[in-house]
Amino acid sequence: MTDSVLPLELQAIRSRLPELVASLERRAPYGAILASSQSGLQVTVTDREARVSEGPRSQGAVLSAWNGAFLEERALGSLEAEALATAARTLAQELSLRAGPAPEPGEPRDEHLTFPVEIDPQSQSPRDKLELCRRYHATLRGLDPRIVNVMVAYSESTEAKAYANRTRLLSQSLIRIRLQITVFVSDGQKVQRDWLGKDGTGGLEIARASDDELRALAQQAVALLAAERIEPGFYDVVCDPSVAGVVAHEAFGHGVETDMFVKGRARAAEYLGRRVGSPLVNLLDDPSAPGAYGSYLLDDEGEVARPTTILREGIFVQGLTDLYSAFRLGIPRTANGRRQSYARKAYARMSNTYFARGDTPVEDLIAGLERGVLLSKTSSGMEDPKGWGVQVEANVGEEVVGGRRTGRLFSPVGITGYVPDILASVSAVGSDFALDGGNCGKGWKEWVPVSSGGPHLRLKARLG
Amino acid sequence: MRDRLLATLEHTPGVNDWRLRHVRSTSTQYYLARREPENERSVQCERLEVEVYNDHPAAQGGQPSRGAASVSLLPGEEAQIGARIEQAVFMAGLTDNPPFGLPGPAVYPQVLTADRLLEIEPARACRELAGELLDALEREPDVSLASAEFFVDRQETALQNSRGARGEETGTTLLVDFVLLARGDGGRETESHVEVRRRARGGVDLGELVRRQAQYARDTLRASEPVTGRFPVIVSGEALHQLMGGMFMSPLAFRSSAQYKHQGLSPWEVGQSIYGQVSRSGDPLTVYANAVLPWGLGSAAFDDDGLPGRRLLLIEHGVLQNFWAPQRYAEYLHVPPTGAFGNLEILPGSMPMADMWQGIGPLYHVVAFSSMSPDPVTADFVGEIRLGYERRGSEVRPIKGGSLSGNLFSGLAHAHLSQETVMLGDYLGPEAVRFRELTVSGK
Repeated sequence: MTDSVLPLELQAIRSRLPELVASLERRAPYGAILASSQSGLQVTVTDREARVSEGPRSQGAVLSAWNGAFLEERALGSLEAEALATAARTLAQELSLRAGPAPEPGEPRDEHLTFPVEIDPQSQSPRDKLELCRRYHATLRGLDPRIVNVMVAYSESTEAKAYANRTRLLSQSLIRIRLQITVFVSDGQKVQRDWLGKDGTGGLEIARASDDELRALAQQAVALLAAERIEPGFYDVVCDPSVAGVVAHEAFGHGVETDMFVKGRARAAEYLGRRVGSPLVNLLDDPSAPGAYGSYLLDDEGEVARPTTILREGIFVQGLTDLYSAFRLGIPRTANGRRQSYARKAYARMSNTYFARGDTPVEDLIAGLERGVLLSKTSSGMEDPKGWGVQVEANVGEEVVGGRRTGRLFSPVGITGYVPDILASVSAVGSDFALDGGNCGKGWKEWVPVSSGGPHLRLKARLG
Repeated sequence: MRDRLLATLEHTPGVNDWRLRHVRSTSTQYYLARREPENERSVQCERLEVEVYNDHPAAQGGQPSRGAASVSLLPGEEAQIGARIEQAVFMAGLTDNPPFGLPGPAVYPQVLTADRLLEIEPARACRELAGELLDALEREPDVSLASAEFFVDRQETALQNSRGARGEETGTTLLVDFVLLARGDGGRETESHVEVRRRARGGVDLGELVRRQAQYARDTLRASEPVTGRFPVIVSGEALHQLMGGMFMSPLAFRSSAQYKHQGLSPWEVGQSIYGQVSRSGDPLTVYANAVLPWGLGSAAFDDDGLPGRRLLLIEHGVLQNFWAPQRYAEYLHVPPTGAFGNLEILPGSMPMADMWQGIGPLYHVVAFSSMSPDPVTADFVGEIRLGYERRGSEVRPIKGGSLSGNLFSGLAHAHLSQETVMLGDYLGPEAVRFRELTVSGK
């Protein structure tokens, strides 16, 4: 196991951050700076092409100054000390100061934080990663003649940040890994696809797929060629962790991002301390979860990561905050102030959001369905924090009759409903646990890496 | 730094071709929470994006091959230029793709992409828009502002490649995003959310947008679920834009793409019906990939390689005419290079908007989805209805919840397109489409 060190460009600027904060606070009652860098590698192999290239790369900083009512910010795509010093002086000079209280900077801390990495991606060359992708591609390509293409995409992203305010000087470095394998199949009439995703925060150990997993992927992709559209209606369903997780994320997670409370956009604000789901439901958000794709150790506003219990036994106990919403609402900070990049504002955002594990074996969940559907592989979802509607799309639904999977497939399957109805309908919680990574937007923008999941859940939902 | 980079590209062994994009961008952003400012910010960025092409014999078989890799250089990285280009050559040398070229010099079209009103004083433009929004809201009863965001972005791009292509252009983008709350009896509240992106200030009629969204918010207060079944469905405005354009890639753009044809993922053939085995009964679809649409979000004088922007006929009367093809995939597929897709342009249909609602019903009209992004490969779709209307004869009631599902091409085969058109950023086309029958999942 190794720890990630801070990249050189951030090491150079880290020690200068306190003086930049001091420059801001010559006029501002509160100032902060976040410097960040991102670099990575992307490898793609398909039937017809291959590519090895640099992944998204950026370096920059955002300077934040409180003017008595809100934050004014200047962001630069540069980590040059002189450019940042000039920006800090200019921002302080141009600040439209007004009377009012200011956020507190928090307890003093000076640390560099990292997640352990089992196999450091830097220890292997891009050629090794290309070979890994080619191996997965070749294995899958030989499994079925109906496979018309296989796309294997590997990405690694080293993300490092350094943050300072009056009392804090914190930094973190982590590596996010994703392996996405998509199989395209055709029967000559139509094309279908299915995928396998591996993701997390850590090292190359994340990008492992077993032959059994690849075989199952190919079989399911081919089976989807015969998939039907489901008859619309209410069903008893068992959701796999990816579907359950997106239900958690979209149904309740977005609605407890407390910037939505400030704006009057969240119905959950009226339900603090009240029941919103079955007593079987416990929902958490944990940016410190080791190895998860949405993990981090330090949010973008200087808060050190720790878990937040959102629902305890169906009762809404706490929301997720950024600096502004916590300050405006007078509630405790959680480590959920996140930016898409230095070029964007911070909002209250989820990290790794999941239902807590229960005690029912998954096979018992399915055996308990007299007539229903097993839903797996989420492809998308959308929040509705004010209306408490929910939309989740599963790529695969499989009919269950008399507690047995029949092999009859439906694709895609839309899950819609009213959040309290869905959460109240949870009748059993699986004893398994898995997280599924992806990127989450706020509305249709502001993308950040997250994961969601938990155990399998049995509940009632409207499918279409 | 740019000159040194160009010199390095010319002299580094293994660089057989190159492409350079120098991008400078600014963003001015203004946020309101309720009616008060929440944040005010400005952003400046600059980057040099380099694509390096390396020719080599394939590892297996030894046939001529080409690999490509990109690296970027950021301010202050002048000393790293040599190492970064060598890194790109190394990565490009790892892959054995069939050879392809780059476009040479060309005369680029003049395309309207930059609005001087936004360029000159972006911060003022943001504040004026906020004021206009608040003024418009004064005229709307029972509705208040939850939040608003205004972004004015400007990007300068200079392109150059090793075959002599050179171009420069500037583009602006305006984003207006706001959420309105309607309050009903007993204090119950509902919201309507809209995000609009346009190239020019004149592309956003904020007064009309506020009026419409306020009505949507009030209607949502009264909305109930649709019923389950297969019904005629009208989809209009932004909801139609999402259905036709998708969030990431439209099935129309995917299946007409030379890249995805080359990869065996598009079943479409030039000269054949896009509806497959389905016999069409609706308006025939005529579609252009239009990269020179005035003020189009996808418009550009040249694409990433240096091919000139153009308006390309993709589908005429339901029959595929051309694949859109960047240089590389044009060569692979042996079709003319056309450049990037640009904007989705669909010619109007036969049905006046006023006739869209004909019939005794029930008939559904969807104006907003929670999210709608048809699968680009299968063209299947399902989306929650954020707001719509159910019509039964002369009775109209708002609906919310449940979902609409189907297959885009099966649906379009039996759809009528409106005569009236709208321009919605990267979509110019019918304002509404009436599908003969789609599946509604409700109560």
